[in-house]
Amino acid sequence: MSRLLIILASRWTRLVLVLLIVLALQTTLFKELRPFGVAAQIILLFVTCAGIQFGINIGAIVGLIAGLMFDFVVSTPAGLGSIALGLTGATAGLYIYFFPNPIWWLRLLTVAFVSVVGEIYVLIAQAMVGLGVVLEFGLLKIIAVVTAVNICLSPGFFLVTRWTLSERKKTR
Amino acid sequence: MATNNTIRRRAIILLTLTSIMLVTLDLQDSPQVAGLRSVFGTLFYPVEGVARVITRPVGNAWYGVTHYNKLLDENSLLRQQVAQQEGATVAAAASVRLSQELLALNGLPTLAGINAVTAQVIGESPTSFSQTIEINQGAESGIRVGMPVLNAAGLIGKITKVFTNRSFVMLITDPEFSISVKVVSTGRKTTDSTVQGITSVTTSTAVPLEPISNIPDAETTTTTTTTIPIEGFTAVVTTLPATPKGLTSITIPLASELDVRETGVIQGNGPARQPTVRFIDNSLRFGSIEAGVPIVTAGGSRSLAPPDVLIGVVSRVVERVGSAGPLLEIELAAELTNLSFVRILLYQPITEKKSP
Repeated sequence: MSRLLIILASRWTRLVLVLLIVLALQTTLFKELRPFGVAAQIILLFVTCAGIQFGINIGAIVGLIAGLMFDFVVSTPAGLGSIALGLTGATAGLYIYFFPNPIWWLRLLTVAFVSVVGEIYVLIAQAMVGLGVVLEFGLLKIIAVVTAVNICLSPGFFLVTRWTLSERKKTR
Repeated sequence: MATNNTIRRRAIILLTLTSIMLVTLDLQDSPQVAGLRSVFGTLFYPVEGVARVITRPVGNAWYGVTHYNKLLDENSLLRQQVAQQEGATVAAAASVRLSQELLALNGLPTLAGINAVTAQVIGESPTSFSQTIEINQGAESGIRVGMPVLNAAGLIGKITKVFTNRSFVMLITDPEFSISVKVVSTGRKTTDSTVQGITSVTTSTAVPLEPISNIPDAETTTTTTTTIPIEGFTAVVTTLPATPKGLTSITIPLASELDVRETGVIQGNGPARQPTVRFIDNSLRFGSIEAGVPIVTAGGSRSLAPPDVLIGVVSRVVERVGSAGPLLEIELAAELTNLSFVRILLYQPITEKKSP
């Protein structure tokens, strides 16, 4: 019983529940709010923020779990988004490796960079399994809008990911 | 700390392997992955429903702010179009009815004989890379993967994923979309031959090659049609009423003057570019294809759509060297950016149907 409670109170259970909410927002609100006709990618932003704050390993795990959940609600092959987001989380986690002391503007810059890289990972993953990827000017617009939206929303998502993934101190 | 890192690395390896395995299985249309997807969808649907209810006011406010002027313009344009179309609709309805009667008379399948389900579009693709929409009807309504989806204007896509109460529709602009189509040439000059009086015309499946002439007057003209039963279609046997003596006038076109068709495959090219039709033969009989020629589905035992569903018109013909044949750019009849209600034809080709 106590073991079950420990599992339920762990940050990974919290992560799955928070991801369900983020996923629901992605498939409802952010599917409809399309600045310049482009859907914002808050799942990508969540993974990026987790990676930037908690490093490569946790970034990769959050990306893999978030991607797996996302794959089950979209029509692309299951597992594809998981791999792409896992890589994105790991890439974001490199931030701590290079800059151990957080600087706010550097974090925003990293969010922008990882957003671009994350979208490219998705395209590469789709191309690798033979899904049609049309390389056109519109792709640049998609990447630019996703990056801009992610920068705007990132302060809020840093707070959400910190609350979700931080380990609680044991009280006696 | 070192133990934690080891556990995390194991978790990463495990999750990565799971993802690779899922990709492999899903690309082979594994029923297990479809089951997993369905289970997750069932669990996730209530959460999504709550989120939709909560966020709807925000979405409406966003639309109000960003689309107000566009809606005003569109509204006035639509009012003009409605006024123009009202007269044309009556004539078109009469033509469609006549066309379907003629098809039924000849034992040919018609779209009117195929059951359909109307569905509401409840969401667009959550990503910007795939052209899909989500509708609120699923397996419970008889929808299956591959069924064609239409709106009032024409074909818009096909069903790609089916859940109990919802489905995903791949739009015709998706790079993965392809379906066989036919291009109907209508630019030929036609001359009609008129025949006075026919004694009787019996069952015929072929168009006469030459005009019938010098047939004596008769009191009645009767046409009987035998229908070939095709699963999924309802063909009607019709008998034409007797025609008064001396007033019979039937127009029979020459076979060489009938419209000729050419088949190809339409493929999506993303939302920003028009779909294209490939594999059109450089046929002398067909002649040159011009802009404005209609494109309809070809049908056939392997095609996922029945024949003669309107897709659009040729907007540009790109000539290619060698034997590749021309490439046709298609302007779609349906407007894909503003879909609200769609119709799913409960049609499956004979090759897709499971034998009892």
